[in-house]
Amino acid sequence: ETWRYAFEEALDEVQGIFAQKFKEEVEANSDHEIQLFPYGTLGESADTMEQAQAGILQFVDQSPGFTGSLIPEAQVFFVPYLLPTDTETLASFFRNSEAINGMFPELYAEQGLELLTMFPEGEVAITTKEPFASPDELDEVKVRTMTNPLLVESYKAFGATPTPLPWGEVYGALQTNIIQGQENPMFFIESTKMYEVTDHVTMIGHNNFTTAVMANKDFYDGLPEEDRQVIENAIDVAFDHIIEYQKGLHETSIEKIKEAKPSMTFTTLTEEQRAPFREAAQEVEARFIEMTGEGGQAILDQMKKDLAEAQEASSS
Amino acid sequence: MAACPRLRALLRTTALSDIPSSSQTQSQTDTTSTDDAVETAYVSTLPGVLGTLDVGIARLESVLLAGGVLLMAVNTIANVVGRYVFQSSLFFSEELNRILIIVITFAGISYAARQGRHIRMSAIYDALPGRARKGLMIVIALVTAGFMFLLCWYSAQYLLTQAGRGRVLPALQIPVWTTLIIVPVGFFMTGLQYLLTAIKNIISRDIYLSTVVLEGYEEDEMEV
Amino acid sequence: MGVTIFSIMLVLLLLGFPMMIPLIVGAFVGFVTLFGGLGQLETMIQQMMAGIRPASLIAVPMFIFAADIMTRGQSAGRLIDMVMAFVGHLRGGLAISTAAACTMFGAVSGSTQATVVAIGGPLRPRMQKAGYGDSFILALIVNASDIAFLIPPSIGMIIYGVVSNTSIAELFIAGIGPGLLILVLFSIYAWIYAARTGVPTEDKADWGLRLRAVRAALWPLGFPAIIIGGIYGGIFSPTEAAAACVLYALIIEMVVFRELDVAGVYRTAKSTGLITAVVFILVAAGAAFSWVISFAQIPQAILSGVGIDEMGQIGVLFVISIAFFIGCMFVDPIVVILILVPIFAPVVSSVGLDPVLVGTLITLQVAIGSATPPFGCDIFTAIAVFKRPYWEVIRGTPPFIVILLGVSVLLIFFPQIALFLRDLAFAD
Ligand code: NA
Ligand code: NA
Repeated sequence: ETWRYAFEEALDEVQGIFAQKFKEEVEANSDHEIQLFPYGTLGESADTMEQAQAGILQFVDQSPGFTGSLIPEAQVFFVPYLLPTDTETLASFFRNSEAINGMFPELYAEQGLELLTMFPEGEVAITTKEPFASPDELDEVKVRTMTNPLLVESYKAFGATPTPLPWGEVYGALQTNIIQGQENPMFFIESTKMYEVTDHVTMIGHNNFTTAVMANKDFYDGLPEEDRQVIENAIDVAFDHIIEYQKGLHETSIEKIKEAKPSMTFTTLTEEQRAPFREAAQEVEARFIEMTGEGGQAILDQMKKDLAEAQEASSS
Repeated sequence: MAACPRLRALLRTTALSDIPSSSQTQSQTDTTSTDDAVETAYVSTLPGVLGTLDVGIARLESVLLAGGVLLMAVNTIANVVGRYVFQSSLFFSEELNRILIIVITFAGISYAARQGRHIRMSAIYDALPGRARKGLMIVIALVTAGFMFLLCWYSAQYLLTQAGRGRVLPALQIPVWTTLIIVPVGFFMTGLQYLLTAIKNIISRDIYLSTVVLEGYEEDEMEV
Repeated sequence: MGVTIFSIMLVLLLLGFPMMIPLIVGAFVGFVTLFGGLGQLETMIQQMMAGIRPASLIAVPMFIFAADIMTRGQSAGRLIDMVMAFVGHLRGGLAISTAAACTMFGAVSGSTQATVVAIGGPLRPRMQKAGYGDSFILALIVNASDIAFLIPPSIGMIIYGVVSNTSIAELFIAGIGPGLLILVLFSIYAWIYAARTGVPTEDKADWGLRLRAVRAALWPLGFPAIIIGGIYGGIFSPTEAAAACVLYALIIEMVVFRELDVAGVYRTAKSTGLITAVVFILVAAGAAFSWVISFAQIPQAILSGVGIDEMGQIGVLFVISIAFFIGCMFVDPIVVILILVPIFAPVVSSVGLDPVLVGTLITLQVAIGSATPPFGCDIFTAIAVFKRPYWEVIRGTPPFIVILLGVSVLLIFFPQIALFLRDLAFAD
């Protein structure tokens, strides 16, 4: 049988690497074939999600940020300073979290989707034209955000002027100074050439970009046990592979950028410098609860608990 | 075909193409804008109450078209002003424009069908003799109507699916399905226009591009 | 499946069906074949809606609106009078100015459709009056607008850069050489056309006359200022510049020149809406059709039979050009780039081609495809705006296509046309 798998990035970006590994595993361990559809070839993120819900696609990768309009609780991944920056802790969190492995699958199931896994794609860095180290210095800086209320709220709290803009217009808008900043994981900043049109990369540690892989639920439930096992194993292998692949990806991306543009600066804010951003993030968390009610509160509480456990596990 | 020259003159088209700019009016003063001419002269071919309804719908479509474009301009300008004067983009600006594009497109396809303005490649068609052209026009109108009704049905299904999923627009927080209501309506009205065009061609002697527009582009000078 | 669909579409097209029908039927047959029935037609609707979703499309109705106001009022006439005062005495001067204006406007606005309307709209009647044949004018407008794909900012190059991991800044610079070369060749053709068909020239205007023409055009000169200054100056995105032009056009035509009343604005808005709808329904249907091609992996199937792996650099460049040229004849250029670039990526790197050269060549094919029959957005726009039959809009196209293909071949054999400026700018 031919299964189809769409994701939100190019073939050689993180989601694409994950998909390729998954394909390789499934094809090696079964008679099924997997066709991969990178970003844009079957529509935007919301389109491929619907196609997966309709059963046209068997697998889809969509980041919870885009899932927010369907599953509001998924926006929890936009609450700043929730996820740790340390990759070990992060991997252990994604593997063991009750919120991710217990609660979210139920929410996705209501939408006809089998949540197979969630994985981190890297720390979100902010690229700007002028350096900054405090919310004051972001005053009147227009930062592009996805059209997501929580993200807009975050950048307001950080002191910037959030400017929702479709991704296709970002490069041009930075080049002509309509906006002065944007945020993304480092590998994406490198591969999409954002460094060509900005001068400074700052890591304020506010988030780690998270994505999720799902299957159409009817398709998945209708599979014989052995096929489901093949898929589960392939997901596990691909998860380990992507965690391994990302080790040092942040750093190699920085190296590549430096090579292409030596004048680019990279700054990691100290804990002290981050304090005012952390402070500001409180109101974003409150806004998340306001938007999602009890369900959101429950997810948030559970995630905090899981994170504390992950932190403990990796520090011991 | 007994094309009435006066009607043709009335239907002679002016868009941007041949609206005279003030400094060069001599050669083109005899043209009248179709859109204006048809609107003032729009008489439904349907009888009685149906005719009144038809005229009302035509008017509504035209209001949606013009209103959609004007609102889009206001919205986009306001967003710029907001960003520069008040340091804050209108958070809903992009989503509102998306909705307006849908409104304009789907109010417009029906309006365009009414005016016989849909784009077609008529080189072979034009070369056919009158009877064949008439037959072909009836087939074209019927097939087009059929596909419009088909898309009407499936866009209604799509709308219902969206309503069932409860997706909302991230910024405006209004349900996605409400922005799609005009889609099946637009397909239906367009299908209806083509169906009526087929009927009009069956019952009358001339060949019609739409219920009110006779075939034939304006005969401007030809390139030699 | 591909062959059947293309055949049906072509027949419907030639029989004179409204252009949306071949596209809708193509997509419909695709969905029914792929999913064995009517079960997944909702996705066809989804993709039609996706087709008219991109925010950048907003620039199209806005520029149409602004241009229509300018043309109904005095702005357009005064601007053209000014240009004519300087070039009217030169052979082919008006045609060359039109080509240059289309290139410039298209480059800056980022929308070739808007260019067809905004520049072609006012200039076409003036060129007709000057004695140019309509098919020549229409082909010139459509093709010159498409040079804009090569001049930065270019959305096609941005997409290519992202998909192929190539420097967008280098791509932008590489596009300028071929873009200008094409403009020069178009100008030479326009000059030959004017000479051969005996388009009369006007008397040379003296400087007093020129000064008066400039003075009369002072207000309307705000338009290029808004567009060029606004966009390159970082004040506006192209869409916003379009809206600013609308505002400016309303102010000068209603308040300064008092040429337009409220009823006139309403009528103009309605006519803008109509043109937008007629073109956008084709964009929508085209998107659904493109989805079918992508989902069925038709390009992959075709290309796997070509044997590209055994070819050298020149061979690979030719195959890429042909693939993109054909793809863009039928399918939305952005989708073509997204699908084909990853397919060619391995062979491009294995034969050691410069991805910037490949990107420039691909962008050139995208430009050609958008102006080439049977399906092309700019052709559709020209038909909708100028109300001329399809055939007449494309009849004058061949010489332009020949020039464009010629430049493609030149670029393959003399990559320096594209890379010269890049090497100059990025020399370490
Ligand atoms: Na451009
Ligand atoms: Na084409």
